[in-house]
Amino acid sequence: MLNNGKTRRWIVALGVIATGGICAGAVIAAQVRGPGIPQGLEAAIEAEPLVLVADLPARNGQAKRGVFVQPTSAGFVCLWDAPSASSPARQGGCNPSNDPFAGRELFVNFVYDGGPAVSDVRDARLSGLVSQAVARAQVVMSDGTQRSLVLRGASVGGKSYRGFGYRLGRTDLQMGVGPIAVVALDESGAEIDRQTTGFNG
Amino acid sequence: MKRLAAVAALMLVALAISASASAAIVTYGGYSWPAGQAYSTSYSPYWWRNVFSKMATFDTTVTFIDNVSYSWHFTLRSHATFLSIHWHSSQTKKAHCRANQGSSAWAACAASS
Repeated sequence: MLNNGKTRRWIVALGVIATGGICAGAVIAAQVRGPGIPQGLEAAIEAEPLVLVADLPARNGQAKRGVFVQPTSAGFVCLWDAPSASSPARQGGCNPSNDPFAGRELFVNFVYDGGPAVSDVRDARLSGLVSQAVARAQVVMSDGTQRSLVLRGASVGGKSYRGFGYRLGRTDLQMGVGPIAVVALDESGAEIDRQTTGFNG
Repeated sequence: MKRLAAVAALMLVALAISASASAAIVTYGGYSWPAGQAYSTSYSPYWWRNVFSKMATFDTTVTFIDNVSYSWHFTLRSHATFLSIHWHSSQTKKAHCRANQGSSAWAACAASS
């Protein structure tokens, strides 16, 4: 059996080793997050205001939602599909403020519940922002039809945004019809951007 | 006794720092992104946020998958450089992310609990 002095030295040594290991683990964990998960963005998303830019009407037994834009102090513009401006139950994406369309003319989010099989999808919604070059936007459906999107404007922090919201109808979902792409057109009607949704019903 | 108390206090502080740094957010995918590459967490009732962070824009999906019907919930598909979805529920689920097109850019998925 160790005497009192040796016991204390062992405890001190184990404590130092354990502390070092725990600290190293924390540092590694922080590095694993990588350079692309901006800590400031997460805090800004939680704290900073959202502004309504378009509606997602109640449909399919689902409550009304909104399309919100959120310019953040972290240098990103976020686009959310959410029940309200204060709801934490939001789904969306962000792009850098200096390139909110990431080199394109459309910033589109496609959100759905159910699936992954198309026949199991209960609710599906498109939300988006369009650049100044876009005169009109439309949804190309899997049955070959096209649905025009209503573009609405909002001014946030001195900047103007135009956006849209589109919620699929129950009939479309039951028939397996869904959006395969959102298309942006210029004043002449020429297609200037197309973002596919992956929906292949 | 003073030394023992100091060591104990230091360990408690380190444990607290470690917990806050690593337990709240878990990176579960971020190694390579050929088209169709997907990653998932384990199932847990505690996941509430799922994010996909990218250094470049490419087509990706994030979702939650429950462990009963294996249905997808709050699925988001977007080219945005940062995707985030939320499911505030105690239902057991896993976070899942997928690259719908390949990219050589740095990207990672992370889930919050």
